[in-house]
Amino acid sequence: MNAAPAVAIELRALTKDFSISLRGLKLRAVDDLTLAVPAGQVFGLLGPNGSGKSTTIKIILGLLEATTGDCRVFGVPSRQVESRRNVGYLPESPYFYRYLSGTELVAFYGRVCGVPRARLAARVAEVIDWVGLGAAAHRRVGTYSKGMLQRIGLAQALVHDPQLLILDEPTAGVDPVGAAEISELIRSLKAQGKTVLITSHLLAQIEDVCDRIAILDKGRLILEGAVGDLVGQRDRQALITDPLSETEQAALREWLAARGHTLLGVEQPRARLDQLFLSKVGRPGPAGGREA
Amino acid sequence: MSAPEPRVQFSADRLLLVAGNTFLEAVRQKLFVFLLLLAVGLVASVQVFREFNFGSSELKFIADFGFGALVFFGSTLTIAATAQLFFSEIENRTALTLLAKPIWRTEFIFGKFLGVFAVVGVFCALTVGLMIVLLRYREQAIMEANPDLVLVNGHLINYADIVIVGVLQWLKFGVLAAITLLIASYSNSNLFAVVMGFFVLLICHLQYLARDAYGQVTILPVRWLVRLLGYVFPNFQLFNLADLIGVGAGIDGLVALRVAAYALIYIGLFGLLAVYSFRHREI
Repeated sequence: MNAAPAVAIELRALTKDFSISLRGLKLRAVDDLTLAVPAGQVFGLLGPNGSGKSTTIKIILGLLEATTGDCRVFGVPSRQVESRRNVGYLPESPYFYRYLSGTELVAFYGRVCGVPRARLAARVAEVIDWVGLGAAAHRRVGTYSKGMLQRIGLAQALVHDPQLLILDEPTAGVDPVGAAEISELIRSLKAQGKTVLITSHLLAQIEDVCDRIAILDKGRLILEGAVGDLVGQRDRQALITDPLSETEQAALREWLAARGHTLLGVEQPRARLDQLFLSKVGRPGPAGGREA
Repeated sequence: MSAPEPRVQFSADRLLLVAGNTFLEAVRQKLFVFLLLLAVGLVASVQVFREFNFGSSELKFIADFGFGALVFFGSTLTIAATAQLFFSEIENRTALTLLAKPIWRTEFIFGKFLGVFAVVGVFCALTVGLMIVLLRYREQAIMEANPDLVLVNGHLINYADIVIVGVLQWLKFGVLAAITLLIASYSNSNLFAVVMGFFVLLICHLQYLARDAYGQVTILPVRWLVRLLGYVFPNFQLFNLADLIGVGAGIDGLVALRVAAYALIYIGLFGLLAVYSFRHREI
């Protein structure tokens, strides 16, 4: 058996132009983008609105054709149907067939993806339970809340057990508890060895779950690297103690100065608002289900 | 280096899945129920007009009236349902999720077509079925009132001809659905597809007039153009075999088969053109 490629997604000099008028005017949505998403990592694609994130994702999924450049998924050109065999996709603001129940919807996509009929029912139940929708599985999707839609969207993306998950704004419109649950699911996917490509405007969430990030602006790659390398300040350290008096702080300054160091600031640590909110409202369970 | 991914084969199972889902979506729409009730109501109301004729001509009247309702509402349903079911996938962005799976766009387009074709098939079956029940009911009453009437195979009307015309109308709607799907595959709005669908329906019904008129023209390029248009747009008048019901020997089975083949060829051609057009559509 062949080992999985070390790179899940490879973009080389990718450019996408859209015609915006009959006179031949074009809008460049993606501009000479070269990027590699390593297998087994959670990769964040960031950027303001109109930066080319969704266009890039659509090219990866074969929904759009690049004007120039090359896009490969596990080594297969993305314009080929074969490239999508091992990919699960959760679109931004997902709309699904409202008249189907959660179970019917996931089974539908499972059959499209070629999950054998003998295993389908068990696999559908498994992924629906995993995203914490077991109790609502037989309700029509049209009655689902925004957070439930995102979770059933995750279930349909996972039903054929793909190696690559592409999540376009998975927490858009979801409350902080739902967003934390989705983050927990993403961590769990990483623990299973999946590659996850995620776009989100919630930078704190990206920072929490991603191994690497790339920032796009006006279709161009601005920055790319490991999250720790990009946001960590390697030339600084923080010491957290119980409260010090003015005298003690002065003594500490002197002690540090004697050793060639400088105390740059003294401040009170603050809990993050989302963590405070979650501690009061409820925290996600081990598989993303909310604890009572 | 890893081995190349095995090829994703064309799958009838996926095609039927899309078709089944399209069918389910269609029958849940109010438009389908509304048009079905209208057609069924109209066919049923023919009872009101039964004093217009006597003997077998009353049955011919019922058949003509029923097929008139079938053609009118069936054409409306076909164009509206095809455009709506296609654009609901695009506008609701369900196509985004579906086409991001390992599925061929050919499977998607022909699945959509088969779903609509099945819906129109149900519509035709119910309308023609009701017509046959009504014809049978009136036939018995007429036979009891006129015991001297000459019967063919024990009946005043050939029910097989009714079924044949119903099937041919269904196939004609299939051609119309394939044309509407082709228009929808490159157009950006539901309304455009519906308007163009009705426009093409009109052309297909009237194209024989144009051929007759321009056939007299001696200028070669115009004659070629007319001939070309005659091939591009199917002649829907060929499907109007309802006039032969109850007249002479009725419908010639060979003619019906040729018309059916004519419809299937056009369905295939327009379906393939729709696939070609949709293949590079940006979702």
